[in-house]
Amino acid sequence: MKTVFKIENLDLFYGEFQALKNISLEIEKNQVTALIGPSGCGKSTFLRCLNRMNDLIESCKIMGDVAYHDENVYDRDYDVIGLRTKVGMVFQNPNPFPMSIYDNIAYGPRCQGIKDKKRLDEIVHTSLEKAALIDEVKDRLNDSAMGLSGGQQQRLCIARAIAMEPEVILMDEPTSALDPIATLKIEELMNDLKKDYTIVIVTHSMQQAARISDKTAFFLMGELIEVDSTDTIFTQPKNQKTEDYITGRFG
Amino acid sequence: MSNKRKRIDLLYQGLTYFASSIAVIALSMIFIYVFRNGSDLLDFGLLVNDYHAEYYNADIEGNITYSTTPAPDGLEDNMYYSDKWGIAFEDTENREGKNVIRVVYIAEDSPMRDLNDKNNETSDTFGIEEGNIVTAIKFDDKASALPIYGAEHMINELDASDDFREIVFTSLGGGIRGSIISTLYVIGMSLLFSLPIGVFTAIYLNEFAPKNRVTNTLRSMVEVLTGVPSIIFGLMGLAVFVPLTVRYTSATSGNLISGSLTLGVILLPVIIRATEESLKVVPDALRNASLALGANHTQTTFKVVLPNALPGIMTATLLAIGRIIGESAALIFAIGTAVKDDISIFGKSTTLAVHIWSLMTDEPANIELASTIAVVILLIVLILNISVKLISMRYRKRYE
Repeated sequence: MKTVFKIENLDLFYGEFQALKNISLEIEKNQVTALIGPSGCGKSTFLRCLNRMNDLIESCKIMGDVAYHDENVYDRDYDVIGLRTKVGMVFQNPNPFPMSIYDNIAYGPRCQGIKDKKRLDEIVHTSLEKAALIDEVKDRLNDSAMGLSGGQQQRLCIARAIAMEPEVILMDEPTSALDPIATLKIEELMNDLKKDYTIVIVTHSMQQAARISDKTAFFLMGELIEVDSTDTIFTQPKNQKTEDYITGRFG
Repeated sequence: MSNKRKRIDLLYQGLTYFASSIAVIALSMIFIYVFRNGSDLLDFGLLVNDYHAEYYNADIEGNITYSTTPAPDGLEDNMYYSDKWGIAFEDTENREGKNVIRVVYIAEDSPMRDLNDKNNETSDTFGIEEGNIVTAIKFDDKASALPIYGAEHMINELDASDDFREIVFTSLGGGIRGSIISTLYVIGMSLLFSLPIGVFTAIYLNEFAPKNRVTNTLRSMVEVLTGVPSIIFGLMGLAVFVPLTVRYTSATSGNLISGSLTLGVILLPVIIRATEESLKVVPDALRNASLALGANHTQTTFKVVLPNALPGIMTATLLAIGRIIGESAALIFAIGTAVKDDISIFGKSTTLAVHIWSLMTDEPANIELASTIAVVILLIVLILNISVKLISMRYRKRYE
């Protein structure tokens, strides 16, 4: 199995507070990796290290290696923009731009300088298709994206990420703001997507992690407690803390 | 205990009622005063007429064909008609409040429609028009008919004569067309200066500037500037912009350019602050979404943040226009107070607000016309405020 991300000895500080402690983890190609753990355990922070979205937080200081295809993304002259085109991200709350559905998806490619109308049409179409949204919106591509339902908006955000033809898609609790039906649709979508993409997902729902992921990592208080195949984690966890958490004894 | 609480509640509620009714009364009194004084003069002519009356001296040449049109219907008691000359005069007041004689009707076949302009011999079609003010009719064989004797006397004298030596009349005057045009010029030029600079400064402060002490100092300086009285800016305009424009343009004293620049500086802090506020309310989620899609900071700012802040910037612009229309102190220094009809951006002029100021410093003060201009200003500000409300309503809907 090919390794996409290789994280070694990662420490992260918000000012004085250490949010991540000596994390080492490998993320493999065309797999769904789920990050679970109680609130504040650092799993979202960890996720945001992978496409360097933590750069936006000023007090944030990072030590250790986050290697994407053997290149440390925290090297001084690493191309962050290039990294983010290869590592897409979907956020907790659906955040489409207040523009048309078409423009939302064409936004990323346009920022990379793609202007050809035909090419953009094609990207928009295939992205919506992959995000299983095409049937619902194909007649109103020029309507505002704000008019879509929450679940549709989230799938639009996934389509928007797919439009960049990324290798990895990071998902930060993508279904926590959605109702069960919309959640189910997104989970189905993820199952389809893992054929083409590597997915890293932060989730609060252990059932969701069990349903969709191949590999699960359990975080607690900024530490990576245990990482293994999802089956192993949920049936025979090696660490007592992991067992306590997945059986619902705390957290 | 509960009785005491009730009394205290009543007291506090009474205080709020009292305070708000005083506020309402004070505001409505201003409106009522201005409208009562000014509404008489408010008509379309006021908006399009010149302020300075034009003087004409005319006589009549060749054989006179007298009018045969009978008196028209609907002449009021203070209107008098001459069958022979086909013209009707009335006693009225002009916009300065002086008693004058005004032409209210001219028959189709009136010889008064074909006069000879003594100041401009080449003009072919020249005649007295409805709305003109007659200041004298001079005869060869008797004393001149003057306005002090009234319209009836003037018509009678005219009717009794077969010819006259000269008729002196003026256009109505007192209009505010010039001031409206220069107000528009000032709005345009000051926004041209302050809007781009203000918006880009706000973008810098909110999106690009490092969050350190220099930025904070800059921001608090902008805030201080908002509170500086405009007359101080006026002094700055007089000291900086007037000499500058005199040096580099054909202007010889305060002019519309120096005035607009001065106003532009006054508006800068207003626009910077309003734009910054509207940039701040753009959700960070949109910035993150854009950055996560591989857009860089500049693309994010100009493609996502700025379009979402546009309604706020529009509101800021409308508020700025309101400020321009209402400003007088700074402009008295930077443009001057001479009411002009022919507007040049290199020349002196008045905006509507300064026009009020110069009317009120006249001797005697022309309160009626000043109030009318105040009504015009109030109407413009009212329309602007309603537009601000409409825009911000649409803005709020977008995020809901």
